[in-house]
Amino acid sequence: MSYLLAAIKGLVLILMLLFTFAYLTWAMRRGLARFQIRQGPNRVGPLGLFQPLADAVKAIFKEDISVAKADKFVYWLAPLISFTFALAAFAVIPLGPKGSLFGLDPWVAGLNVSILYIFAVAELATYGIFLSGWASGSKYSLMGGMRSAAGLIGYELALGVALLGPVLLVGSLDLRDIVDWQVKHGWLALWQLPVFIVYLIAALAEMGRTPFDFAEAEQELVGGFSTEYNSMKFVAFYMAELLHWITASALIPTLFMGGWHAPFGLPEVPILWLFIKWLVFIFVVMWIWASWFRTRYDVMIRFAWGKLFPVALAWFLLTAYWVASKGGAV
Amino acid sequence: MSVFDLLMGALLVASALAAVTLKNAIHAGLALVGNFLALAVVYFALEAQFLGWIQIIVYAGAVMVLFLFVIMLLFDAKADVGPNPLPWMRPIAAALAALLFLALAYAYSSLGPIDPLADVKLAGGLPKALGAILYGGWLYPVLLVAVLLFAATVAAVVLVQPQIRKTRIKPQVLERDRELKEVGR
Repeated sequence: MSYLLAAIKGLVLILMLLFTFAYLTWAMRRGLARFQIRQGPNRVGPLGLFQPLADAVKAIFKEDISVAKADKFVYWLAPLISFTFALAAFAVIPLGPKGSLFGLDPWVAGLNVSILYIFAVAELATYGIFLSGWASGSKYSLMGGMRSAAGLIGYELALGVALLGPVLLVGSLDLRDIVDWQVKHGWLALWQLPVFIVYLIAALAEMGRTPFDFAEAEQELVGGFSTEYNSMKFVAFYMAELLHWITASALIPTLFMGGWHAPFGLPEVPILWLFIKWLVFIFVVMWIWASWFRTRYDVMIRFAWGKLFPVALAWFLLTAYWVASKGGAV
Repeated sequence: MSVFDLLMGALLVASALAAVTLKNAIHAGLALVGNFLALAVVYFALEAQFLGWIQIIVYAGAVMVLFLFVIMLLFDAKADVGPNPLPWMRPIAAALAALLFLALAYAYSSLGPIDPLADVKLAGGLPKALGAILYGGWLYPVLLVAVLLFAATVAAVVLVQPQIRKTRIKPQVLERDRELKEVGR
C-alpha cells in the first residue's frame, strides 16, 4: 500500500513538474523580454499563453535527425539520463509539515538522508550532459561536455563542503529536520551566511545558468553538448535544465529560509509559503540571467577551486569548532 | 535466497563482465557505473542507507566522472588492437584466477545457510551510528588509512613531475637548429 501511495504521489509530482516546466518556458521568455525591452511571445493565445502548447507540437512533429558519427546507444541514452534524474531530485523536498496534504505527508520519499539523495541525483544528472558531448562525435559537443564535467567536480565539491556547516549545526541530513530546526532557531541563512552565499553561487553553476553556462556557450561552442540534438531529444535536455532551476529554487528556501514555514509570524498556510519563496528564487535566477554576462571558462573553474572551496572549508572548520565547544548540535 | 538476490547478483556479475570485456573504453566505464549503482542497491537492501548514497556520490558520481573525463581527454576511446604487450601475463593471470575461484569455493562451502538480503539488517546504517564507530573505536585505523591515502597522493604528484618538467623538443627542430648553426658558421 505504501508503495502504491508513493507511486501515485510521484506521478502527481511529475505531472506538476512538467506543467510548471511548460509555463516556466513562457514566463521565462516573457520575463527576459521585459528585461530587454522586447515583447516576447505574444501571438499564440492571450498574452502568448498557448505558446508552450505550440512549442510542444512543433518539437514532437519535428524530423528526428541523428548524426552519422554518433555513438548511437550513448547518444540516445544521454538525454534520458539527464531528464530522468532532473525529475527525480524534487522527490525529497518537504512541501509542508507531516500530514498536511489532506492527511498525507507532502513529500514523495521520506528519506532520512535526503541531502545525500539530492547530491547523488544531481551528480548522476550531469552524466547526461557529459555523455551527450562525447557521443555526438563532434569536437564542439565534446568540449561542452568536458567543460560541464570539470565544472561539476569543482562546484559540487564546494557545494558539499559548504553544506557540512548547516548539517553539523542541525545534527541531521534530513531536510525535514533542517526545516524543523529553522522553525525553532531562525533561518539558517542568518546562522550560516557564508554558506548561503557559496551555495547560491554553486547552485547557479549546477543549473548551468548565466554566468556559468560555459557548457553551452553559443558564441564559442555553437551550443556545446546539445549541438547535435534536435526535436524531442533536445527538448529532454532543455527540460532537464529548467527542472534543475525549478528544484534548486525550492531547495534553497528549504535549506536556508525556513522551507514551508511562514516568515515573520504570519499565519501558516500549507504549501503557500514555500511557493512564494520558490517564486522569489525563480525570479532572482531570471534576473541574474538577464543582467549578467557569461564569464570565461578558466576564470570560473579557478574561482570554484581557489575562492569558493577554501571559503567553504574554512567556514566548515569554524562551525565544527563552535559545535564541538558547545558539546553537540544546537 | 530470494528472486531479488538472484536478480541483483546477475546484474552485478553481468555489469562487471561488461566492464572488462567491452572494447570501447567509455562503454566499459558506463558498465562500471552500472555495477556501482547495483552495489548501492544491495546496500539499500541491507538498510545501510548512508553507505549506499555515499557509494553513488563518491564512486558512481565523482570517481567515475573523473575516469571518463580522462578517457575522453586522452584516448580515442577505442580498444588497443596492436600486439599484446604482455604475452607472458596470460598464464599467470589464469593461474591466479583459478586460485581465486578455489578460495571462493572454499569460503562458500564453509558458509552456513544464506539468508535473503532483505532479512539481514546491518545494525546502524545511518550516519550517526556509522560516525560513532569510525571516529570512536576505529579512530586510529581510520587515521592510518588517511595517512596512506595522503602518501599515495603525494607519490602520484612526484611520479608525474619529471615528465612535466622535461621540455619536449621535436627531432626536426633539433635538426634545423644544427643546420642553422652550420650555415651561420
